[in-house]
Amino acid sequence: MILYPAIDVRGGSAVRLTQGDYGRETTYDADPVDAALRWAGEGAQYLHVVDLDGAKAGAPQNLATIERIAAAVPCPIQVGGGLRESGSVARVLEAGAARVVIGTAALRDPGFLEAALAAYGDRVVVSVDARDGKVSLAGWTETSDVDVADAVAELSQRGATRFLCTTIEVDGTMEGPALGELARIAAGTEAQVIASGGVGDLAHLESLAREAPANVEGAIVGRALYERRFSVAEAIAALA
Amino acid sequence: MTARIAILDYGMGNLRSVEKALEHVGAAATITSEASAVRAADGVILPGVGAFPRAMERIRELSLDELIAERRDAGVPILGICLGLQLLFETTTELGGADGVGLLPGGVDELPADGLKVPHIGWSPVRWERESKLTEGIASETPFYFVHSFAPDPIPGDLLGTAAYGSRFACAAERDNVFGVQFHPEKSSAAGLRLLANFAGVCAKAPAPA
Repeated sequence: MILYPAIDVRGGSAVRLTQGDYGRETTYDADPVDAALRWAGEGAQYLHVVDLDGAKAGAPQNLATIERIAAAVPCPIQVGGGLRESGSVARVLEAGAARVVIGTAALRDPGFLEAALAAYGDRVVVSVDARDGKVSLAGWTETSDVDVADAVAELSQRGATRFLCTTIEVDGTMEGPALGELARIAAGTEAQVIASGGVGDLAHLESLAREAPANVEGAIVGRALYERRFSVAEAIAALA
Repeated sequence: MTARIAILDYGMGNLRSVEKALEHVGAAATITSEASAVRAADGVILPGVGAFPRAMERIRELSLDELIAERRDAGVPILGICLGLQLLFETTTELGGADGVGLLPGGVDELPADGLKVPHIGWSPVRWERESKLTEGIASETPFYFVHSFAPDPIPGDLLGTAAYGSRFACAAERDNVFGVQFHPEKSSAAGLRLLANFAGVCAKAPAPA
């Protein structure tokens, strides 16, 4: 499994939110490039960058920072946050992202997702966030009544090949990933699934590597890395 | 000594990533298309992302093909990365076909991929087919990061590395002072940086550019 250290950018800094709450923010690095270089320097094979301002505004707000991260690190980066129309996707890829992560818009705007998949194929990751098993929209400020596993299955049929599945209840808590929920989602698709939320120690990563279905290809880790619960190298070893 | 490396700028490529990675390994990198700057360098990198025929047009417009051949003849180490590697070969079948710079015998063709999705994007283990200064200290089967739809077919004597995507394909070549890698060392974490450091080491030891 691939470790995706997470870098959430807000107001030009690297921050973490707890359970997606913009009011519960912790700042870790004044310059996100420092975080990116730290994780990459420890051997990260991929970075997951989220433009939190973009997610709220509905269009990328930190393109210059994304460009600086992409140029600085010796590994590919995937970028999400506010990608709701083709122009935004093109700009983020132009800034140096290897993949784009499309969230809300993939569910709300089938035409947009179809166009993005046609143009960029495997470079598109569809992010599906869930609270209590239901899809959550608009930077987590709104919850739907659509079952997350159903949504993933449907989006797979529309051609999505990789998902990022975040369980909001556990995100930022470091109390362990929602393995059962992850298995339920992954069982409904042949696409690759990246697990996000709740990783707090190496045992959590080991259990992901051991117990998650085969199409769970990686895990996002944020707070636990910033708080030095373990190193990137240890996390990669735990996922191997 | 610090190796001075010229990164050829012909308007297509991941230039700044390559520059940053070279700086990271202690080389002095310059992004340029100026002949004088290229002639002053201990090594030359030909990067590239995009379509082969368009890239060759740009390279010819800037007379970089002649400059690269001249530097090869002067004994200066040359490294092609991704499309840059492909351009060092004689021909491609991409978009109806085109001629390359021609420093490496052989052609470039579509990745067989055997039904897998093309482009091949992601981390794949690379097997070294022989020893090389370029790959010193990097174990065979170490993963590198790839983004490509085409791959070269070097002559057996020039084959340096292979990877598998569906079937096995050539992903690294070496002929005298000409090197090329299909993967992106500047995006391949510690192993990629080591490869670039090795290239900088080869450049630092090569005869002074004349």
